[in-house]
Amino acid sequence: MEIIKNFGIEPVLLIAQIVNFLIILFILKKFLYKPVLDTLKKRENLIKEGLKQAENSKLEFEKALEEEKKILKKAQDQARKIVDDAKIQSILVAKKIEEKSRIQSEKIFDEGRKQMGEEVKLAEKKLMASVNKLSIDILKKSLKETFSDKEEAKLIDRAIKEIVK
Amino acid sequence: MVSFAAEPIFSVGSFKFTNTLLDTFIIDAIIVSICFYISKNIKLIPGKLQNGVEYITETLYNLTESVAAERTAKIFPYFMSFFLFILLINWSGLIPGVGTIGFFHVADGKKELIPLVRAASSDLNMTLGLALVSLVATHLMSISTVGIKNYLSRYFSLNPIFLYVGILEIIGEITKVISLSFRLFGNIFAGEVVLSTVSSIYAFLFPLPFMLLEVIVGLVQALVFSMLTMAFMAVLTTPHHAPEEVRHK
Repeated sequence: MEIIKNFGIEPVLLIAQIVNFLIILFILKKFLYKPVLDTLKKRENLIKEGLKQAENSKLEFEKALEEEKKILKKAQDQARKIVDDAKIQSILVAKKIEEKSRIQSEKIFDEGRKQMGEEVKLAEKKLMASVNKLSIDILKKSLKETFSDKEEAKLIDRAIKEIVK
Repeated sequence: MVSFAAEPIFSVGSFKFTNTLLDTFIIDAIIVSICFYISKNIKLIPGKLQNGVEYITETLYNLTESVAAERTAKIFPYFMSFFLFILLINWSGLIPGVGTIGFFHVADGKKELIPLVRAASSDLNMTLGLALVSLVATHLMSISTVGIKNYLSRYFSLNPIFLYVGILEIIGEITKVISLSFRLFGNIFAGEVVLSTVSSIYAFLFPLPFMLLEVIVGLVQALVFSMLTMAFMAVLTTPHHAPEEVRHK
């Protein structure tokens, strides 16, 4: 008891210090450790999530690159095929056009020949008419002195009839 | 000369308000302010203060985890609270004015300086109080973790040898309180005595190395108290194996 008194131990002060520490313990637990540890946990989760997302994005990026390569290759193949098809098509079209133009030119040529024939016939007809007229005129002039007008008309009619035949 | 007992600065009825109690309240105010400030302003992107608090909390949490493993969540609040509280109280004695600013009191014809504030850990009431909290919390935690039967089997057994060991364990628990409280009290009280003696020899620059030593002593003692509590808690929350179980293993 003497020792306790010498060291200044007083039950009231002892209890006061115990109660004080328990209050501090409660406050620290509720207002410091809990929010701080929660925040640390939250941040840790965020970082983990971020790293995971970064890893996923990297994988997705690589996947996208792979896809891009595939698409490019496909596009190149398709383009090559289109060009080849176009070449074949153009050859076919050229042949078709050539054939068509050949047929058309033949048609034009035939039409021209036909037209030319008709024109020749028409010219022949016209020439014939002119020759007839000229012959009649020559005949008229040459018969005027030899035959009377009546005989002359008769001869001319007969000549015309012969020519027309 | 510094007295063992804390000096009362005023009385409320029979209750003597001592200078160590005032120091405790000042430290309480600082801790409570920091707690409320942090809890109100806590953000995912921390400021300087939050960063510091987080660093200390995380370091001490990891330290507890390395010792207590899955019981960390239960033990950590006690470990960190003991550490913070004792550290701040130990260091509060080094603040200029603490232990030196006070009033004179005449007792038995002698004029004595009664400091207004004195480091609370140089008062056995405080260190004994903390040791008792540590002991009671350890045992309550042990009962809640391992169960009353397993808890009692540590101290009582039908086997006379284990009963004897159990009695020694009970004595050990009592000595834990004495060692925890007197170690802290002795170190800090001795530090105060050294500082006041050295300061009375030559007050300028001369006490500086001793103050630096006291900074280290304050930190070490806070760590010793809190780590011992943590170790006791870790040991007592581990299920105690009955003699038969031990033999089978």
